[in-house]
This record gives sequence, structure tokens and C-alpha cells, in this order.
Amino acid sequence: MPLPAPLTEDQVYHGCPSEKLDFITTDDLEDLEQPCGQDRVLRALEFGASMQAGGFNLFVLGPSGAGKHEFVERFLSQHAAREPVPPDWCHVYNFRFSDRPTAIRLPAGEGQQFKKDLNDLAEELRTAIPATFESEEYQARIQELQEETAKRQHQGLFDIQEEANRNNIAMITTPAGFTFAPMRKGEVIDPEEYKNFSDEEKQLIESKVEELQKKLQHTIQQIPRLRKDVRERIHALNEEMVQLTLGGPIGELREKWSHLPDVVDYLDAVREDVVEHAEAFQDSENGPPVGLLARYRANLLVDNADTVGAPVIYEDLPNHQHLTGQIEHRARQGNLYTDFTLIRGGSMHRASGGYLIIDARRVLTQPMAWESLKRILLSGEIRIESLERLYGLVSTVSLQPEPIPVSIKVVLLGDRMLYYLLSHFDPDFLDLFKVEADFEDDLDRNDECYELYSRMIATMARAQKMRPLERDAVARLIEHASRLAADQRKLTAHDRVLRDILTEADHWAGQSGADTVEASHIQQAIDEREYRASRVRERSREQISRGVVMIATEGEEVAQVNGLSVLRLGASMFGQPTRITATARPGKGQVVDIEREAKLGGPIHSKAVMILSRFIASRYAGEGELSLSASLAFEQSYGGVEGDSASVAETCVLLSAIARIPLKQSFAVTGSMNQHGEVQAVGGVNEKIEGFFDVCREAGDVREQGVLLPASNVEHLMLRADVRQAIAEQRFRIYPVSDINQAIELLTGLEAGEPDGKGEFPENSFNRRVAERLAQFAEASKKQDDTGDVNNNSGGNGSD
Amino acid sequence: MLLDGSRMSYAALDAAADIASKTGADVLGIFVEELNLLRSAGFGFAREVGSESGVSRPFGTAEIEQRIQRLAEHARRALAVAAARYGGRHALSITRGSVVDEVLALAQPNDLLVLGRVGWSSAPGARLGSTAKGLWRRSPGRMLLWCESQASSRGRVVVFLNDHDDVNRRAIMAAADAVWHTHQPVTLLLGAGVDIPPDRLEPIKQDLGVSDSDFRVRTLPSTDPATVVQVLRQERAAQLVLSRDCTLLREPGAEHLLATLNLPVTITP
Repeated sequence: MPLPAPLTEDQVYHGCPSEKLDFITTDDLEDLEQPCGQDRVLRALEFGASMQAGGFNLFVLGPSGAGKHEFVERFLSQHAAREPVPPDWCHVYNFRFSDRPTAIRLPAGEGQQFKKDLNDLAEELRTAIPATFESEEYQARIQELQEETAKRQHQGLFDIQEEANRNNIAMITTPAGFTFAPMRKGEVIDPEEYKNFSDEEKQLIESKVEELQKKLQHTIQQIPRLRKDVRERIHALNEEMVQLTLGGPIGELREKWSHLPDVVDYLDAVREDVVEHAEAFQDSENGPPVGLLARYRANLLVDNADTVGAPVIYEDLPNHQHLTGQIEHRARQGNLYTDFTLIRGGSMHRASGGYLIIDARRVLTQPMAWESLKRILLSGEIRIESLERLYGLVSTVSLQPEPIPVSIKVVLLGDRMLYYLLSHFDPDFLDLFKVEADFEDDLDRNDECYELYSRMIATMARAQKMRPLERDAVARLIEHASRLAADQRKLTAHDRVLRDILTEADHWAGQSGADTVEASHIQQAIDEREYRASRVRERSREQISRGVVMIATEGEEVAQVNGLSVLRLGASMFGQPTRITATARPGKGQVVDIEREAKLGGPIHSKAVMILSRFIASRYAGEGELSLSASLAFEQSYGGVEGDSASVAETCVLLSAIARIPLKQSFAVTGSMNQHGEVQAVGGVNEKIEGFFDVCREAGDVREQGVLLPASNVEHLMLRADVRQAIAEQRFRIYPVSDINQAIELLTGLEAGEPDGKGEFPENSFNRRVAERLAQFAEASKKQDDTGDVNNNSGGNGSD
Repeated sequence: MLLDGSRMSYAALDAAADIASKTGADVLGIFVEELNLLRSAGFGFAREVGSESGVSRPFGTAEIEQRIQRLAEHARRALAVAAARYGGRHALSITRGSVVDEVLALAQPNDLLVLGRVGWSSAPGARLGSTAKGLWRRSPGRMLLWCESQASSRGRVVVFLNDHDDVNRRAIMAAADAVWHTHQPVTLLLGAGVDIPPDRLEPIKQDLGVSDSDFRVRTLPSTDPATVVQVLRQERAAQLVLSRDCTLLREPGAEHLLATLNLPVTITP
């Protein structure tokens, strides 16, 4: 197998061709209406926003910082502007069931007028009705009524008293009622004297007294009916007066709002209620109770007077109360009171008829918010209930406002993991969020993209109110976008990172007094960000340069190779070499992954070790038995090891240990390997190469060192300028390998050797030496087994 | 202060205590164990018909004695409480006999006699009790017929005057005392055909101790109760002061007028 040629400077970096950027500064470029490369998400949004059927709410998936929020809000605002303005909603007092305020729907913008009309009406009631009761007409009529009643009530008693007097019987008032007794000259006869009366006289008196008592009883028992009659007549009079007073204003309002039957019904209910409570308006000094007048006002819950098109609401704290609204309370002398005027609408109310954008993670972390959101979407109406009531923590009487029907499109923003978790674990989720809008992480980097990407940068810069960028600065940013995408043929779509670099570059441009942002400012922004995040990396490198962590960058060693790993800390990542060592001796065909045994290795790494174990068995043991007991370890690695990117290095170092052939320490190796020895792509190649380059540089001059990486990773390379420089000067080489044999040859300088028809490798080839050594292991094992068998047999016989 | 244990009599007691606290007068309570009532319970056939329920039940001497004692005790405590509030002297006289006679026997010309306009008979709907009817013409001094009025505390003291100077003078002096207590504005209500020249109004104003803004004169167009009530309402009258010798009370319907007026009335000799 021919050895690969080291990569050239051009192969490890895809520069931005300046001829593709046809402008001087970004001021020459027009704004980009839609972000480039996001056609999938745009079509999903277009479909989701237009789809009227239920359950077609949207979940916009994408990494955080991809600019989902701004993008979705901009799109929806444009889309919603063409849609009709939704209606206003208000709550009014329910005169039949006072704990269930009624909801009234009004055309958009009429809510304010309705509220004002009711305020005016209440104000009029406050003055006009007491004035009616103060009027001479009313006072005269009420006086007449009272007179007549008193007369009727008293007349009966008076008649009885008169009749008693005529019969010389006194009607005496007692503390609890009346009694009758014979009298003479206005004074009750002494009972002792009465005893001297004849029986006839006594019978006459007593029968008269009895008769009077019966009449009195009858008369008194008529009094409640009389009083009731009076009350009814007074009430009727009050009603009549109030009706007359209200006739004008209520009539006008009824006519004005005749197009809304609900409002007309409410006005009729107001009139009935005022009549019902007419007496409460009679206090001319203090006026009617404030609480009574408050019943005739409206609580405007949703006011779309100033809304253009359908509303697009972003709820930044999507908790239960903010979404569904709440019923507030007012403290009075240590007690809490509420009424329908204290009902507050939530963002679901405001967004009804339009769109509500919510961060999925936030809504999921708020107690009951997710359940409440689903409940509203499933039922199509908003029911305002407090959290403590939902939890059943309180049982006090409170308001139960009439649910308000809702037609809303909810747009959740979240990362992909959340979407997949919800899809898997929440049975309602896919019923309610049928539209998946998946944000692209990267954009294709081709000849057509340069103009669009430049315009996107220009749009971003203008939105940030930055200095314009020069062409070179845009080119540098495009190159960096490729680096961020870790792909020469891609550009990152990560909005936040680009925006941050732009903002920072603008700052440095300002510091240097420049009018435009130049390439050097972009580079400075990149370098400064790198530097700020470099503390851990530098400490790690320092450990290597001081020899605390042992990494060899020159010479040859048996059973030792430089692997490459990547560490991610926060938003930054860096690569560094790790020494991988191996041991090999005869055994039962097992390769011990020390990392796994120590529970420091992840499952993918374990899988990779198993693959290489099977690779060795299949390649070198043929149909025989593999006699090998080997071990692999990442030296001085105290954290976890995961991934299969070290499997090429592990294979090489294990084979080196078996064959006792030294490996060049000037190379570092990355790449995964399959069971046929083919080398496969891995991630983080740029950081790995740069990490090894930095270690080599700190160990002395960079010369003859290099990295072996999978050939399929070449198009992912976007290396730093100093690495490229070393490559150009052939001080640092990068070899793209596609097969394990290439790696072996580069690391050992020996021919790897292909097997012939009998499966034997060429004489003196690396593989031949490995195979011979394994055969020796097998022989040694066989002898050991035979000796063991003999011993066992002897032992067996002996025991007989 | 006539106490009979009725709700109205306790309201009158509060008013009396209030006046006493402002004038420094003593409060002398009188509770009369009404002889007619005690006697009426002594008959074997005696029954009491409840004023609210109309239910007839047996009525005995022992029972009424006990009730009267309880009421008297209650009156004593109420008087003590009211007096304690204003800190003046007080006494309660308990006598047995006719209420009117006992009160007249005790009252002196310089005393202010305070009583509820209606006692126990308010329950069945009476608006002027028999005691008030028996006393207002015969009281040796001023008499305040108290009632729990809905009239505003910011209302006016209305004094009714006619063309009899002595009678007017007594009414004005009584009104002056009321104004001094309450700082309320005053309306002079003149009987039909009565005219008081401006030069005589000034001394009246001085006697009353009110400023021009708190003083006005109005003539009563007619003396029928409805008109009087209407005018008093228009004047926002908080209390009415008049002499029992004035034309209003000399007419046949005087008791009806007093029954119709729903405000405290001071009647001067």
C-alpha cells in the first residue's frame, strides 16, 4: 500500500477567495431579509404559521445561540402583519353567580370604549340615583307610603284600644307586648277589689278580655304582612324611580352596543341590579358603596386597540401565572379580598389570535407551566386558576372567571435533545406540536454562499450598529466560520458566536481608532477570545513542557505512542497529546482496557478496544487461536476517556508491544478504525493538531514532527496560520491515512506487508513480525497448557 | 332622664349623657314601676299577647315583678356606664305609680327632661308613646323627645318661632344651648304670616351664637304635617326646637305632627 503524501498548506485551510467578495465595505451590501441556508426551517415556519388545524404548533429546534428567537420573531412579525387583529376581551361582574365573572368578546379596539362607557355610567349612577332619591317627588311619595302604612298598622291597635276603653278595659303595654285589665277612671282596678265583683261581672269582663285578646292577636299577626306589603311598595317605588333615572343612559348604551348581544344583555343585567340595590344609593352623604359601583365597571383583559395584525408575544418568564393569568388579591386590614377587577390576563390571553413564543426549557422548569400550557392547547380555552388551587393547597372560595376561548399558535424554542425527550416521554407532545422546524447548524460553503453570507454579516453589523467591515475582515470571518463549523465546506450558522466576534472586533477597531473593522480586528477578537479561555490549556501545556506529564516528541519507543484528545471547557475546546502505552504477553486472547477496568473509560472507547482486539485476532491469528494477554492505558490520564478516536493509535501501540518494534514519537495519531483496519473520521481534528503542534513547539524547534489523521478528515481542517506556516516549511507534516498499514509504516518506517494467498505476510515486514511473535505466544501457551495438563493428569493419578 | 328599658330609652340616655358632658349637668334617671302594669298581671285571666308574634301566653305578678326588677337593674347599669363615659354625677330614682305622674313629681322647671319618643310600644309600630303624649304638654321645663334619626350630623338646628315674644325667647334659648353643644347652623322657621324685622334678627343671631353664614330664616307656608316635614327635610334639620305654646303645637293635629317628625324635638314650656 503506497504511503500518503503529507498535506500541503492549501489542503489544511480553505481560504476565502477575495474575488468572490465584490464590495469594499459591508455598507455596500444590502440587508438580508431571510437568513441564508435555513430553507428547511423557513418552510416549516411558513407551514406551521399558516396551518389552521389544531395541534399544528411549532417546535423550533436548534442549538442555543443559533439566533432562533430573533429569527422566529422576525418571521412571525412579518407573517402576522398580514393577519386580522384579534378581538378584545373583558371580564364583567356576573350578577347571577358573583364568583364567576363573565367574559365578553368585543371587536378589536372597542374594549377601551366599552370600559369608558361603563365608567361613565357608574359615575352617572353615583350622582344621578341619589339625586333621584333626594327629589321632592320621591320624598313626598315615600312619606305618603310611610304615613299610610303607619296608619294601617296602628289603626288596628288603635281600634282595639278604643273598643277596650269603651268597655272599661285598659290595654296596657308590657315590655314584650300587651295585656288587658279592667279599669276604672283610667286606672287598672286592684285585683283584690276585682275579687269582690260578681261572677256575672267577672264573666262579662273576662269574655270581653278574651275577645279583645283574640282581636289583638289577629291584628298583630297581620303586621308582618303589612310590613312586607310596605317593603314591596317601597321597593316598587324605588324601582320605578331608578328605572326612570336609568332609562336615558342605559338606553343610549343599549343602542350604541346593539351590535353586541352580550353587551346588551350585560347592560340589562346592570339595570336590574341597580334597581335591586336601589336602597344602597340612598345615602346622599356618602354616596353608594364603592364596592357596588365597582360591579358596573369592566376589566379589560385583552386590549388590541394598538395591535397591528395578529399579536406576536414573547413570554420571557413562562410560569403558570404569566401564561394563564392570575387573580390578584388586595389586603385590607389583614384580610385578602378579590373581585373581577383584579383578574389579570396572561400572555396566552394577549397572544390569542396570534403567536406566542416560549423558550421550551424555561416553560419546563416552571411548576405546572407545561401542564397548563398543554391544557389550554388541548381545551382551546384559558381557565384562570391559581397555582395553589391547582395543587389543591387551598380550599377558600375564590373567583372562577368564565374561560376565554383561545386560538393561538405556540412556538417553542429549544435544543434538539429537549425535542426528542419530549417526543419520547410526553404522550401529548406530538399531538400538540406537530410542526418541527429544525435549524441548520451549518451552511454549505460554495461559490454562491459568499455573497449571501457577506450580506448576512453586513445585516448583523448594521443591526449591532457597528462600524462597517472591510472586505478582508469579512473574508477572515468567513474563514473563521468554517473553522467554527470544523469543515472546509461548511460555514457555521451559529448566530451568537458570529455576533459576539463582530461586536468584539468593533470594539478593537474603536480602540485602534479605525473607521472600519479590518481583518486584523477580527483576528484580534478571535485571539483575545482564545486567550481569555486559555488558562486551563496553558496549565496543561506547562505540565507537559516541564516533564510532569510525559510526552515525547522525538525519538522512537516500543509500546508507546502519542494519542490526541480534545477537552471541551465551556465554550472553548483544545487538543493535547496523551501518551498511550501497551503491554503484551501470551494469554487467552484478551486485551485489557485499563481505562475501562478502572471505570474511567466510556462505552464507545470500550467498543473501540474490542474492535481492535478482534482486528488483531482476525488478521494475525487466522484460523488458529490468538494467544495474547495485552493491556492498553492512557498514561497520566485521571479523567474519563471516551470515544473511539484513539483506536488507530491503540492498535499501533499494541502491535508495537507485541512485535517489540519501536514507534516514532515525533508523530501523534488520531483516527478510529474498523475491524478491517480501515481508518475512519473523528472529531476535533483542528484542535488536536494544533494541540500537538503547540506541545512540539514548546519542547524545542518544530521539525520533522507531524500528525497522522484519517484521510476523510482532511476536509475538516482549518488550521491556524502558524501551523500552516510550519507545514509550508515542511517542519510539520500531516499525513492522511486511510488504512492501519499506512499508519504502521509511517510510525515504524517498516513495510507493513500484505498477506499472500496462504495468508502469510512478507519476510521482514512489520505484520510478519507481529504474526511470528503471536505464534511464539501461542507456542508458549501451548507448552504451558501441556505442562498444566500433565501436572493435572499426574495430580489426578496421584490422587487415585 | 326617663328609663324604661326600651331600646329608644337607652338611645335617649346616650343623648342625655352627651348633653350632660357638655353642660356639666347631673343625670338623674327615673325608672317607674308602672302600677297599672303590675296590677294587670294580678288577674287570674291575665295573658300577654306578644307584640311581634301575636302569641298569647299566661301573665303573672311574680313574673312581671321579676322582669321589672331585671329592667331596673339593667337601667341602673346603663346609666352608670353612660355616666362613666362622661365622668359626671348620676343617680337613679326607682318609683312605683303612674309614669307621667312620677316624672312630673320629680322634674323641676330648670331640668331638661329627656325621653324616647316611644318606649315599648315602638315594637308594634307606634311612633309617639303614651308617656311622651302625657308629658309634652305638662313638663315643667324643657323636654327633649329623642329619636334615632337618620338626619345628618351636619344638619341644622331648626327653631320654630311665631309672633309671641316670650314663647320665641324660650325656644331661642333652648336652640342656643343646642347650637353651643353641636356647633350646627341654624334655621329660623317662621309661622305663616309671622315677620321678624331685620333689626330684631341681629340679637337673635347673637343669642344663638352663630355667624351670618350659619344662619338663615325661612317661612313655613302651611302648618300641615306634610309641609312641615318637607321643609324640615329641605333644611336638612338635625333637630327641631319649638315651644309647646307655638301655633304648631296648639293646633289639633299636634300629636300627629310630633309622631310624623322623624328627628329629635326639644319642646320648651
